Amino acid sequence: LRDFLLVYNRMTELCFRHCVCTLNYRLLTGREESCLDSCAARLVRANHRLMSAYVGLMPALLQRRAAEHGA
Amino acid sequence: AQQLAAELEVEMMADMYNRMTQACHRKCVPPLYKESELSKGECVCLDRCVAKYLEVHERMGKKLTELSLQDEELLKRMQQGTGTA
Repeated sequence: LRDFLLVYNRMTELCFRHCVCTLNYRLLTGREESCLDSCAARLVRANHRLMSAYVGLMPALLQRRAAEHGA
Repeated sequence: AQQLAAELEVEMMADMYNRMTQACHRKCVPPLYKESELSKGECVCLDRCVAKYLEVHERMGKKLTELSLQDEELLKRMQQGTGTA
């Protein structure tokens, strides 16, 4: 849960930095809102892809390391 | 467990606050240190920045929930599909 909440905070920071450029108004503009929605979706999908790549590659790496230590 | 959840919430709020401070400082306060006082423009910018950041935080939360629910649905459907197949 802690990791998830940290990711949530990081997402907020990142998307805010990229999508909110003008501070002329107190409310979010339509463009900013759609940018934020896309940002959230992209980050989540990127995270999923990263995770599956990691899960795919890590076991082989760990096995190799174990073999090197054993030898 | 409730206490842990409360502690975690406080920690996350503090983390969010720190990130917000950093982001708004970058956006509103230019690194010109001739004067020690903040200009009116900078003050207004900071106010708006905080308001916007909190709104973004809320929006992100809702979007994350929506996306994770969608993923759960998809997983359920996939499991049902493989079950019947």
